[in-house]
Amino acid sequence: MTQSYEVFLGCAIPNRFNNYEASMRLIAKELDIELIDFEGASCCGTVVLKSIDEDSWLALSGRNIALAESRGHDIVTPCNGCFGSLKDTDHVLHDSEEHRARVNQALNEIGLEYTGTTKVRHFVEVLYELKDVIRDKIVNPLDGLRIAFHPGCHLLRPSNVAGFDDPELPRKVDELLELTGAKSIPWNLKLRCCGSPLLIASEDVATQIIKEKNASAIESGANCIVTNCPACHTQFDVQVLGLKDENEQSLELPALFVTQVLGAAMDLDREMLGFELNRVSLDPVKEILGL
Amino acid sequence: MMTESWGQFKTFEGKKFEALDPEFTKEVSTLIGGQDLTACFQCAKCSAGCPVSDKVNIQIHEVMRMLVFGFKDVLDTDMIWLCTTCYTCQERCPQGIDITDILFGLKNMAFRAGKAPSGYLSARQGLYDTGRLYPPTEWEREDLELDPVPEFNIDDTKKLLDKMGLMKLEDDTQ
Repeated sequence: MTQSYEVFLGCAIPNRFNNYEASMRLIAKELDIELIDFEGASCCGTVVLKSIDEDSWLALSGRNIALAESRGHDIVTPCNGCFGSLKDTDHVLHDSEEHRARVNQALNEIGLEYTGTTKVRHFVEVLYELKDVIRDKIVNPLDGLRIAFHPGCHLLRPSNVAGFDDPELPRKVDELLELTGAKSIPWNLKLRCCGSPLLIASEDVATQIIKEKNASAIESGANCIVTNCPACHTQFDVQVLGLKDENEQSLELPALFVTQVLGAAMDLDREMLGFELNRVSLDPVKEILGL
Repeated sequence: MMTESWGQFKTFEGKKFEALDPEFTKEVSTLIGGQDLTACFQCAKCSAGCPVSDKVNIQIHEVMRMLVFGFKDVLDTDMIWLCTTCYTCQERCPQGIDITDILFGLKNMAFRAGKAPSGYLSARQGLYDTGRLYPPTEWEREDLELDPVPEFNIDDTKKLLDKMGLMKLEDDTQ
């Protein structure tokens, strides 16, 4: 059955990871998931606006939810930041009459209202439900791909808000990735934050964290990192460039989006999967991916 | 070296705690997630799983203690702004305290008091002026045959943010 969603892209994907959007759209088409353009979407507010002023964050984020609601659609987003922000807003507005009243008072002035009927989902959540369909579409097994999968924080936590997977032992996206013949390998710092929210306060601390993360992934024997979030990906595919450990060994590791891995295994058009835009060299995994 | 406006409370060494302020504890308890604040019994499990516990001057369990004691200098700790918002502490707290959510409320308080990293000030301005944190990169989108990102009514988001007082937050504390 065709599923249908308004697709909430957020700011980071159209700004620097158009390869994520392109590969998501190819996969969606292949799996018969209808993605409707999200007319009128602003920034989700994310942890940035939530840190500055929670009332403003609830209003801006609530406006996005109310827009989809006014058109009778559910929302899907490929970004952990947007997912977390929209889900968290939904959670607060659902639980707190006081906040809901204040936000709706502001929304009414621009002709909108939040009532809470629209569902917010992450794209990988939708993919997980289609696991059996995906399995049948794997025609180009990715044997030899050893993935350090990074789920990212806001896909999982707080689990009473995210409601997707076990917050301490997540496995759902790993299962999806392993359908391709790749291995999702265990690594020490898998659940550790990537550090990207700190880029705004202290790039220095954010850099220390990504160095620890990539050192752990490399130590585990992975030949790539896979993410499902443009904020995390900024750390793994942009900030990491040129970083070295104390022995002057490069800390770069090919960084792929979950949709690019699935797309390569489904043998979809490599050019349209956007591999050209990945910053860290993909040479170590080029042959496996058929590039 | 430039003195930052934030994170200046660096150690408990030599500090004298005089009258503690129960009103501050109460105020924090009314923040989103603050309802169980006083249930903290200092097991420090929050700091044990914190990705920046080895990178801050004041750790998250110490922040929690300062809050329970009504110690307002907490707004000057670096933990407030170096929290990555990963929610590991909140997920694991045996008392069910919404620690990360409380930290967001503290950030709001620190911002209003002019104690925020400068990046947040420019992010606020950008969000208000454009409704986005970053603009789309058109040439990449064309190469991948992606449609333009749908536009939105910037007057609507400005009206909304004006109503919430986003650009006048600092006025509250004067």
